[in-house]
Amino acid sequence: MWRSAVLRIVLALTLAVTLTATTVPAQQAKPPVVVAMVAATSGGSALSGEAIKRGLAVAIDEINAKGGVLGGRKIELVIRDEEGNPSKGVTAARDVIEREKAVAVFGGLHSPVGLAMLPVFHELKVPYVGTWAAATAITRNGKSPNFMFRVSANDDIVDHFLAKHVVEKLGKQKPGVILENTPWGASNHEGLSKWLTKLGAQPVGFEKFNWGDPDMSPQLLRLRSGGADAIVMVANAPEGAQVVKSRAKIGWNVPTISHWGISGGRFAELTGELSESVVFVQTYSFFGKQSEVGDRVISALKAKFGVKGPEDILAPVGTANAYDAMHIVALAIEKAGAADGAKIRDALESVGEYRGLIKTYKHPFTAEEHDALNENDYILVTWKQGKIVPVAMK
Amino acid sequence: MLAQLFFSGLALGSMYALVALGYNITYATSQTVNFSQGQSVMVGAVVAYALYVGAGWPFPLALAVTLIALAVVGVIVERIAVRPFLRSASIAWLLATIALGIIAENVVMLAFGKDARAFPSKLATTPWMILGAGVYPHELLVPMIGIALMAAVELGFRRTLAGKALRAVAFSHEAAELMGIDVNRTITAAYALSSLLAGVAGMLLAPLLNVSATMGTTIGLKAFAVAIIGGMESPRGIIVAGILYGIFEAIVAGYLGTGVREILGFGLVIVVLLLRPWGLFGVPKLRRV
Repeated sequence: MWRSAVLRIVLALTLAVTLTATTVPAQQAKPPVVVAMVAATSGGSALSGEAIKRGLAVAIDEINAKGGVLGGRKIELVIRDEEGNPSKGVTAARDVIEREKAVAVFGGLHSPVGLAMLPVFHELKVPYVGTWAAATAITRNGKSPNFMFRVSANDDIVDHFLAKHVVEKLGKQKPGVILENTPWGASNHEGLSKWLTKLGAQPVGFEKFNWGDPDMSPQLLRLRSGGADAIVMVANAPEGAQVVKSRAKIGWNVPTISHWGISGGRFAELTGELSESVVFVQTYSFFGKQSEVGDRVISALKAKFGVKGPEDILAPVGTANAYDAMHIVALAIEKAGAADGAKIRDALESVGEYRGLIKTYKHPFTAEEHDALNENDYILVTWKQGKIVPVAMK
Repeated sequence: MLAQLFFSGLALGSMYALVALGYNITYATSQTVNFSQGQSVMVGAVVAYALYVGAGWPFPLALAVTLIALAVVGVIVERIAVRPFLRSASIAWLLATIALGIIAENVVMLAFGKDARAFPSKLATTPWMILGAGVYPHELLVPMIGIALMAAVELGFRRTLAGKALRAVAFSHEAAELMGIDVNRTITAAYALSSLLAGVAGMLLAPLLNVSATMGTTIGLKAFAVAIIGGMESPRGIIVAGILYGIFEAIVAGYLGTGVREILGFGLVIVVLLLRPWGLFGVPKLRRV
């Protein structure tokens, strides 16, 4: 008898506590608008996920400090790790949309994951905004309406940019290409092959490697014996490091130009001084004179994440792209007038001028162009003592 | 070019052999295999990195502690994932060791971080030129230590009492027990030794590869292929098969391209399983009727 009485009191208390816990905040604040990030926060490219998260967080703080969106609703971010694994990405995308009610999803570094998630966004009618993955077919996918947007590089445009640098600036006619054996590699195989040939060069070969391959000298030897006079590389940090180390091992000294995947991990630590022999593409550099927005973002990163300075902003493109992407999405939510994926998608295509970090966007997106950045926004950089610096400043 | 490919394959091949020898040791003594051998490779590299690079310990001390840690990992695998299932004659040990490997990977991701790190070695900075091929001195050290270690294990099996006990258990649990050998303890020792060999491979590879939670997965898998090709019960066959497999991989990648490397390599595994299930260098098992 005594026991069941105690039990009843405990039960009643628990119930009371849970009830107040759930009802009180609901009375005080309007429900938040949920956005999600589905990116790799583990594995060899874990830094990229951290960088994207920081960019989003800084932008969300700014937006919420000004009162949020849709008349006082705060933006709330949920994060899922896709581990670079396409099927985990698909599960995560469904989860954040169906369970967490996310109205926009920001993507991470891995193109294969972005491509795999594409049908999910079209089925559930929620826009994807890419902050890193560059595969051409993510945004140029033939869908109408197209739910895929991107504030990042696009392989086709990057490949044109890289090919121009190799052929016109360096005057190399026989570059050898080495790329990862994934859909992202395939996307660049197509782009580089097209642009190098268009610019009059004759690529000597397109060599592939798998994730985790320890030694890239067989592939490089094939390129060298084909007479390559430059290397164009499409790799993430761990494999890119193995390419550069294998190149040094076989004593092959040719200019090495890379797509930007290598900036998503600890490439400079993995390769040491060799990192300074690689030139690669970025969408933004926190070095040099910053705009008003740049200064603001750097000081927010310092305050929130203990970053000491620009040299401490690892994987900087992730942060810069994500920051602008979040602000553009917030403008679109406001314009759509509702936390509704399909309406936000429509609104994204008509957001007007936005003075962002990377540039001032006249119209970030249009019905035809779902890439907010183009080759005029790309810069060439290299490593100097472990820091990413613009080539001109070296 | 051939010389370059040869040296590239030699270093990796001897590591396949070292890991595969671990499969052999546990298979011979208990007819079970530790499918988290690849993760032992990783644990060797990660613990050595954490102590030597991270904590700045002197190398001999870091090495000693890493070796002890590896043996402990082997014992844990045997106690948790193998022994409970040995009696029931199920293949639950197979799934349990895989599960333990995945747990190990994720524990390391939590504790060590998720991105690949560099393991500095003075022997892996400036390549030597040998027969027109660039070779890091460390790449020569890897097969040298690997082969020496494998020879020591072989010798230990034949000459020491503990080695003889291992072989007795491999021959027959009942007979070994009658001779007063503690079968359970011997199997535990086999697991500790196999984990140790894999971990040493990890430490040796660390300066050539990157150190990360997932670095051992592919090596573990390829070493298993090597163990099948060489013959699960033939340590010498495994050593030869491992080195040859590494060189074969490099040459295929160099002349035919990486696209066909895995196809040919694992295709070979199936061919061997079909034609010589006891391995290229093994001896067909006598059926005791």
